[in-house]
Amino acid sequence: MSEQLRYEGKVVIVTGAGNGLGKQHALLFGARGAKVVVNDLGGSIHGGGKSSAAADAVVEEIKALGGEAVANYDSVEDGARIVQTALDSFGTIDIVVNNAGILRDSSFQKMTVEDWDLIQRVHLKGSFAVTHAAWPVMRDKGYGRIVMTTSAAGIYGNFGQANYSAAKLGILGLSNTLAIEGRSKNVHCNTIAPIAGSRLTETVLPPELIAALKPESVSPLVGWLCHEDCKETGGLFEVGAGYISKLRWERTRGHSFKLGRAFGPDEVAAQWGKITDFKEAEHPADINQSMAPVLANMNSKSLGGNQYIDLDLASKAETTVESSHSEHDVALYALGVGAAADPLDKKDLSLVYELSSDGFHVLPTYAVMPAMNAMLAMAKEGKSPVPGLNYGFDRVLHGEQYTEVKFPFPTKGKLRHTFRFKSAYDKAPHAVVALGVTTTDETGEEIAYNEITTFVRGAGGWGGERGPSGESNVPPAREPDAVIEEKTDLNQALLYRLSGDWNPLHADPAFAKAFGFDKPILHGLCTYGHVGRHVIKAFCGNDPRKFKSIKVRFAESVFPGETLVTRMWKESDNRIVFETRVKERDKVVIKNAAVELYEQIPQRKAKPKAQAVAAAVAAGPVSADVFAAIGKHLAASKGLGEQTRTVFQFNLKDPDSAWILDMKSGDGAVKQGTADKPDVTLELSDEDFVAMSTGKADPNKLYFGGKMKVTGNVMASQKLAFLQKMDPKLLQEAASAPAAAPAKAALASAAPKEAKSGAVFAALAERLRSDKKAVNGLAGQVVAFKVSGPEASWVLDLSGKSPRVEQGQSDQATTVFGIADEDLAALASGAADARDLYQRGKLRVDGDVRLAHGLSVFSKLI
Amino acid sequence: MKNRVNVIGVGMTKFAKPGASAEYYEMAREAGQKALADAGIPYDQVEQAYVGYVYGDSTCGQRAVYELGLTGIPVVNVNNNCSTGSTALWLARQAVESGAAECVLALGFEKMEKGALGNKFNDREPPMGRHAQVMVDAQGISNAPPAAQMFGGAGREYRWQHGTKKETFGKISEKARDHASRNPYALFNQKLSLAEIMASEEVFDPLTRFQCCPPTCGAGAAIVCSDAFAKKHKIKNAVYIAAQAMTTDYASSFAPLSLIKMVGYDMTVQAAKQVYEKSGIGPEDIDVVELHDCFTANELLTYEGLGLCPEGGAEKFIWDGDNTYGGKFVTNPSGGLLSKGHPLGATGLAQCTELVWQLRGTADQRQVEGARIALQHNLGLGGACVVTMYRRD
Repeated sequence: MSEQLRYEGKVVIVTGAGNGLGKQHALLFGARGAKVVVNDLGGSIHGGGKSSAAADAVVEEIKALGGEAVANYDSVEDGARIVQTALDSFGTIDIVVNNAGILRDSSFQKMTVEDWDLIQRVHLKGSFAVTHAAWPVMRDKGYGRIVMTTSAAGIYGNFGQANYSAAKLGILGLSNTLAIEGRSKNVHCNTIAPIAGSRLTETVLPPELIAALKPESVSPLVGWLCHEDCKETGGLFEVGAGYISKLRWERTRGHSFKLGRAFGPDEVAAQWGKITDFKEAEHPADINQSMAPVLANMNSKSLGGNQYIDLDLASKAETTVESSHSEHDVALYALGVGAAADPLDKKDLSLVYELSSDGFHVLPTYAVMPAMNAMLAMAKEGKSPVPGLNYGFDRVLHGEQYTEVKFPFPTKGKLRHTFRFKSAYDKAPHAVVALGVTTTDETGEEIAYNEITTFVRGAGGWGGERGPSGESNVPPAREPDAVIEEKTDLNQALLYRLSGDWNPLHADPAFAKAFGFDKPILHGLCTYGHVGRHVIKAFCGNDPRKFKSIKVRFAESVFPGETLVTRMWKESDNRIVFETRVKERDKVVIKNAAVELYEQIPQRKAKPKAQAVAAAVAAGPVSADVFAAIGKHLAASKGLGEQTRTVFQFNLKDPDSAWILDMKSGDGAVKQGTADKPDVTLELSDEDFVAMSTGKADPNKLYFGGKMKVTGNVMASQKLAFLQKMDPKLLQEAASAPAAAPAKAALASAAPKEAKSGAVFAALAERLRSDKKAVNGLAGQVVAFKVSGPEASWVLDLSGKSPRVEQGQSDQATTVFGIADEDLAALASGAADARDLYQRGKLRVDGDVRLAHGLSVFSKLI
Repeated sequence: MKNRVNVIGVGMTKFAKPGASAEYYEMAREAGQKALADAGIPYDQVEQAYVGYVYGDSTCGQRAVYELGLTGIPVVNVNNNCSTGSTALWLARQAVESGAAECVLALGFEKMEKGALGNKFNDREPPMGRHAQVMVDAQGISNAPPAAQMFGGAGREYRWQHGTKKETFGKISEKARDHASRNPYALFNQKLSLAEIMASEEVFDPLTRFQCCPPTCGAGAAIVCSDAFAKKHKIKNAVYIAAQAMTTDYASSFAPLSLIKMVGYDMTVQAAKQVYEKSGIGPEDIDVVELHDCFTANELLTYEGLGLCPEGGAEKFIWDGDNTYGGKFVTNPSGGLLSKGHPLGATGLAQCTELVWQLRGTADQRQVEGARIALQHNLGLGGACVVTMYRRD
C-alpha cells in the first residue's frame, strides 16, 4: 500500500491498554498519528490490585515513537472518567476500543455470585459505561468509531466460562443495537472476537500456541474498523494469527405451520428435519429480515384441519385415475345387485345379456363402480384418492351416496375419473367428508358424477363447521305409490364382491365377528343397486335409460338373505322419494332417498371421433395438416433423415392419432401408425402439438407443465429442431387444402402481445418509494433491463439518494439483464425466480451475475 | 510391496480434424512406434496392451496393436468416454504395480465425426440418462450440443454463485490458444485474442464457439514398466507415476439441480484427494498440469476441484495469470483439449505424453522451467475421472 492509513488528529481511547491486545491497539494508533488515552487499571487478570505502571509504560512507548498519549488508571466501570480524560487532554473523542477484561473462570457448579457479578461489571457494564460517556460527543460531531471485544467463548460457549461467555455475548447485542442507533450519525460499531496470546488466554491455551498467537495480528483489523474510510458497522469478526473473517447468522428455511390450525409437539417433531435443514439456508441481517417469514405466515391463514384432514391441501387437490370396463363387468354387477332373478323376463335379461333383443343396458347405479373401484385400488396401495385426506379405510363408513348419469352409461370403454374434495364437516369427535367424482369418456365429455359422503371415525375436532343438519327427501305422510319387496340371496355378498369390493367384512365370518357383526354383511352399494332397480321397475317400465340420479343415506347394515321392502312416493313426474326397510327386523336401512328421472332418454352431445376431427379442421390446422407439411418439408430438404438418425413416435390425444416420423435414413418419412422401436415417444394433445409445431407453444413449457410426456431417449427430442427450419407456407397450404378455409392462413401471424414490463416497472418504482430497504442486493447500483417480446428498455438507478426507475438506456449501467416480457411478469408475480430463469438461459446477465440475486426486489410485485 | 511404475516411452500423432486423418490403425501404429522408439525397446518386450477408443466396433484395439506386431499378448479394449485414454493407462499401471507384468503398453486413438457428440445406440437406455435428467430438471433442453448444455449449465451455476465475468471463461481459451501456438502436435496453432473468442458464435451461454473443444482424430501411446525392467534395459532416471486414482460418480452427481456436481466436480475432488494423499505431494508442489478442458467452464471448475486455487478463487487465479508461464502453475502447456484437440480415446495418453516431455525437459518452446512434478486430470461424463501424479527425480 503506497499511502498508509492514518488517524491524524483523531482521539482514541483504548481500555485495558497496559498489556496484550490493548497495548498493541494503542501502539498502532499512536504510531499512526492518533492521540491516545491509554487506560489501564493496572490490576491482575482476575480483577485484583491496582497500579499505574502498565499504562505509564505504554504512554512512554508511544511518545518514544513520536506519538501523543496520556495515561488513565480508572476502572472501565467509571467510563465517564476515562472519557473525561480524553476531553480534558485532547478536547474530543473519536474512537473507543473497549478491550479491558478480566477472567474468573470456574465451572458453573462452583461459580459464585461474586464471580458472576464481577465479570458482568467489568466486561458488559464497562463496555457500556465507556461507550455511553463517549456517545453524545460522537453523535454531536457526526463521527465515531467503536470496537467491542467479544470472544469465541461467548459465540460458541466454553467450559468453565459461563460468566464470561454471557458477558461477552451481551457485548455483541449491545454492539448490534449501537450500530443501528449510530448509523445515521456516522457512528460505527463493530465487534471482534480475537484469539491472541494475552494474559487472559495464558490460562487456557498451551504456551506454544500462545507464542504463535501474537496480539500484533489482531490490531490491524481494529485499526481498519476504526478508520474513517471503513464503512463497516454492525459486523462481527474472528481474528487471530493472521486470519480474519466475518461472521453472520444463518437460518434454515424452517417450516411454517398454517395459522388457524392447532399444532403441538407431535407436529413439530414431524417437521424437525425441515426445521433443522440448512440446505437452503438464508442469512437474515436485520430485524425486518428476521420477521419476514413470520409476517409471511401471518398472511397465510389455514382453512383448518388436523392430522387426518388437511383442508388446505385437500381443497386444492385433484386426482385423476383411469379405468376400463367391459360388458362382462356390467353383467356381473347386475347379477350382483339381484337383476335377472327371472331369466325369462326380457327387460331383466337386457341388464345381463349383451345380445339381448331389447338391447343391452347398464344399470345407472353401476356408474359409481369404476370410480369406486379406482378408489379402492388406491386405498389398497395406502394412497388417499385426495391428498390431504390422511385416514385409512378402517375409519370410514359409507354415509351417503349420490350418482348422476348424464346419459345412458356405456356398456364398455375407457373412462377417466377426477376426484375432488367437496366438503368436510366437523362433527367432533368424528367428521363427515364428501368427495365429488367427475367421470369423463375418451372424448372428454362428462358422462357421470358421483358424490361419496363418508363418516370418518375420530377425524373431527379441528373446530370447523358442523355442517347442515336435518333431513331431506322425507317421505310424505300418505301411503306409498309403489312398494317392491325383494328377498336377497344368502350368497348375495359373495356374488357382488366380484365386482370389485373385496373387503373381507362381506365374506369372512371371523372377520365380520371381529367387527361386531353376527355374520358378513351386504355391501352398502349392493343394497344401493337393489333399491335403484326397484325405482326403475316401478316407475321406468324396467328401462334404466331414463334414470337421471339417485341419492341415499345408508342407515343400517343389511345381511344377505334378508328381505328389502322399498316404499316409493311419486312427488312429480320426474322425482321419486323412497325408503327401504329390512322386513325381518323392520329396520330402515335406506332413508332420505330420492331418484330423479329424465323425461326422455338423453342423447350424447359429443360427436364420434371422426366428426371431432372434422370440427377441429374447421377451426384451424390439425396434426394431420402439420404432418402433411412435414412430409413436404422432408421431400424438399433432402437428406434430413441421414442427418437426424432418429425415429420419433407421436401419440396424440383429443382426437387420438399416432404418427411415426421416421428420420432414420435417407430423406426421412412421415406415416400414420405406431413404430416398433421408436427412439423417443412424445405424447401430447392434438391441439398442443399444433401449437408447438407452429411456434405458439414452447416445447419445454409443455414438457415441464406435464402437457407433453417424453419417453425413451429424452435428449433425442431436441433433434426435432430441424422442424423449425420448415417454411410456414407449407403448413398454411396443408391446412387450407382439405377445407379451403382462407381464415386459417392467419395462424402464422400471431396477434401482437401486450407488454407487461411497463406495469412491472411502475410497480417496482412504487415499491422502492415506499420501502427503501427493498433494493437490498442492488443498493448503489445502476442496472439496465433489455426486455424482449415486446421490446422495452429500462434503467434502475440506485446510486443516488432516491431510487430512479426510468424507461430508456444508461451509460452508467454496470450490468444489463436481458429478459422476455412474459418472464419478467412471471418474476414479478412470483411464478418464476431469477436463479431458475438464469439457469434456463431466460435471464441473460451481461456484467456481474451476482447482481441478479438482487432481482428478488421484483418478487410478488404484481 | 507394490512396484514403482515408470513411464519409459511416449508418443503421439499430430492431431487432425475429422476427415483429414489417417485410418485409426495407422494413427495407432504411428503413436505406438514412436513410444517404442522413445523407450528404446522392441515390441516383443511388451507383455500386455490396453487399448482405448470410444467410437468403433469391438476389437479395434487388436486391429490397431497388430500393426506393431503379432506376438499373441493379451489385448484389452477400453471404453470410458472422454477418460478412455487415461483409463487404459490406469489399467497398464495397475498391471505393472501389482507385479502381473513387467512392461505394458497403453494406447489410445479416436477417429471422430464432425459435429457434437451424441449417442450411437438409440434403441436402448442412454448411459447418461440420469445425468441428462438432472440437467433437464435444472434448465430444460435446448438445441445446443448436449455436452455444451451440461458444462455450460455448470458454468451458469458457477457464475450465479460467484458473479464470474463471461470474459473470464474466454480468457482460458486465449491462454489455451497461446500455449497451442507453440505445440506442433496441436490441431489449432494460431493464437486468438480475447475479443475474437468472445465475439465467436454463442454455443450455450456463457460458452462461445472458441470455448468448446473440437472433434478431433489422433492417437497417443505410453509404455510403462517396473524398476527391474528399466534396469535391465539400462533406462535411467525415468519419469514415474507417483500416484494415480480413478473415481466414478458419487450420489452428489445426481443431487437435484446442481450441474457442477453432475459434470463430475466431486469425482475430480476425490480423485485428486486420493492422489495427494497417496503421493504425499500437495497441489502447491506441482509445476505443470494437463487438465480436462473440454470446455472453458470445466477448466475453471477443475482449478478448484484440483485445489490449484481456493473455491471461488478461479476468477482471480485466471486474471492473475497463475495458470500460465510465470504464474503459480502452467495448466495445459500443450494447448489442452480446447486447442490441441480432443480425440476421446487418445486424450489421456496425449496428456501423459506432454507431461513426460515436460518432466524430461524436452518440451522445447513449451518447456516449463525446472518442472519436476506434473499432474494429469482426465474426465469423462458417464462418468470416470482419472488423476495421475508424475515425478522425475
